[in-house]
Amino acid sequence: MVNYMKFAFLCKEKPSSNNIKVAIIGAGPAGLAASGYLSCKGYEVDVYDKQPLAGGLMTFAIPPWRIPRENIFSGIKELEEKFGVKFILRTKIHSGKPAREEGDEFVEKNIPFEEIIDNYQAILITTGTWTSKKPPVKGIDAKGVYTAVEYLYRHRIYELGLTNEKPPYAKKVIVIGGGYSAVDAAEQALHDGAESHLVYRRTIKEAPAGIFEMKRIEREGVTITELASPLEVIVENGVVKGVKFQRMKLGPPDESGRPKPIPIPNSEFILEADLVVFATGERATPPVSPEDKEALNKIGIKLTKWNTIEVNNRMQTGNPKIFAAGDVVNGPSRIGPAIRSGLYAAKYLDNWLQAKLLKPIPSP
Amino acid sequence: MSTDSSAQNIREETEKPKYLRIIDLGKCIGCGSCEAVCDFIHDGTAFIKLYRTSIGLDIPISCLHCRKAPCIDVCPTSAMTRDSEGAVYVDEARCIGCMACLYACPFGIPELDPRARVSIKCDLCRPLRAMDLEPACAAICPTNAIVYGEEVEVFNTVKKRVAEMFAKTRFETLHEGYKP
Repeated sequence: MVNYMKFAFLCKEKPSSNNIKVAIIGAGPAGLAASGYLSCKGYEVDVYDKQPLAGGLMTFAIPPWRIPRENIFSGIKELEEKFGVKFILRTKIHSGKPAREEGDEFVEKNIPFEEIIDNYQAILITTGTWTSKKPPVKGIDAKGVYTAVEYLYRHRIYELGLTNEKPPYAKKVIVIGGGYSAVDAAEQALHDGAESHLVYRRTIKEAPAGIFEMKRIEREGVTITELASPLEVIVENGVVKGVKFQRMKLGPPDESGRPKPIPIPNSEFILEADLVVFATGERATPPVSPEDKEALNKIGIKLTKWNTIEVNNRMQTGNPKIFAAGDVVNGPSRIGPAIRSGLYAAKYLDNWLQAKLLKPIPSP
Repeated sequence: MSTDSSAQNIREETEKPKYLRIIDLGKCIGCGSCEAVCDFIHDGTAFIKLYRTSIGLDIPISCLHCRKAPCIDVCPTSAMTRDSEGAVYVDEARCIGCMACLYACPFGIPELDPRARVSIKCDLCRPLRAMDLEPACAAICPTNAIVYGEEVEVFNTVKKRVAEMFAKTRFETLHEGYKP
């Protein structure tokens, strides 16, 4: 009975090494699943991550009451001890000047992406989505306003004993959003003993987290307000005091296929809060800045308008030795799709390297 | 034919230690890891799949490997069969793709392979089990919602979880305000 995340689920032990070095950038679910596959194929796998522990958002955002932490850590330990996967932590891989992202607190070493490209036969990018989207409302930079990732991250690093700094705490917490991060943040506030209030611009029927999850946290004690969108964060002396919302109604479906929330004029209302969490989505964080066109061209990577990495149907970027998978390709999603994409990318990477090895040596 | 396979259905039951997979919906968080590894192993066809229900709860659906499997009983060519560890699987060489198994299945599990035109379904990762590994869905599940093992072990694990839950509830009633 396996009672942990067995990332190397395809082999009993590592076969003899093929002495081919592969780098995986990002130790989240996509990177871990890929490293399990590749070590079962005999590769020498180095996994880089900016955090002091592997696991990505499973370790650093998702609350332990959703996924027991030892299930993640035992799987990582097995990769390390039984399958020879090397984890190089507190290390950020980035081309040029490293971009400021969330969760950079523990980075001790920066390695240029170009150096990794030169040192490995193939590279898989699984750097995820470590930047949060914030709506352009007044007062959003006030003290006491957090993104869901920031808020949950601060709780996780404190619980893990990685910092002595207590996570943000307040009596009245407002969480804005309708996804799993919003649900987790609202539940976190409740666990902290706060009055927790979740506000979503559509109804819970449209919420990505689903009616069941919304009703579950409501039963636990979270107040839920539907059909309201933030207009302004109310700030006093630089500190958050509340949020001004506007009531919404549902209109015809928008590009996401869900009914578009339409503002109702003169329907503003204010909710008091001393802590506000914006759980309004995350953005992909590739190891090359979207603004750095020169580096992108030189390396051969293309980004979409959402900063996600463009790949072909073999999950290969414009540079044949660089593959990409997980949220940095698909945008924020769940663990399952990340694992799926990591596995396929690992298989295509293996196929590509094996095909290259088979190529006849051209005659001089 | 059907009495034959029915007898076989029950006879094999008593021979070796049998294995069982239970999906504990109380632990499932709907992350889709099971579907992901299953899809990967079977080149794009997952035999455990999450379905988003009307109340927004995602439920993983896969073969229950019934101990008195109607699909085995109804199969006219004995293609639907059971291996020594208890898993119900399709012997593709014998299958005629009539889908009588799908009619018989109370859970609508068997599907038709788009290329081979035979019935396909979860076989609890026969190739992996041959290597002494667990079915991939059970191996990857982040919350241990998918419990796979010898029958007795699985039954006990599931009940132990209920015992833990009862104990927690009892404790919380005695100590109001307790947060784990």
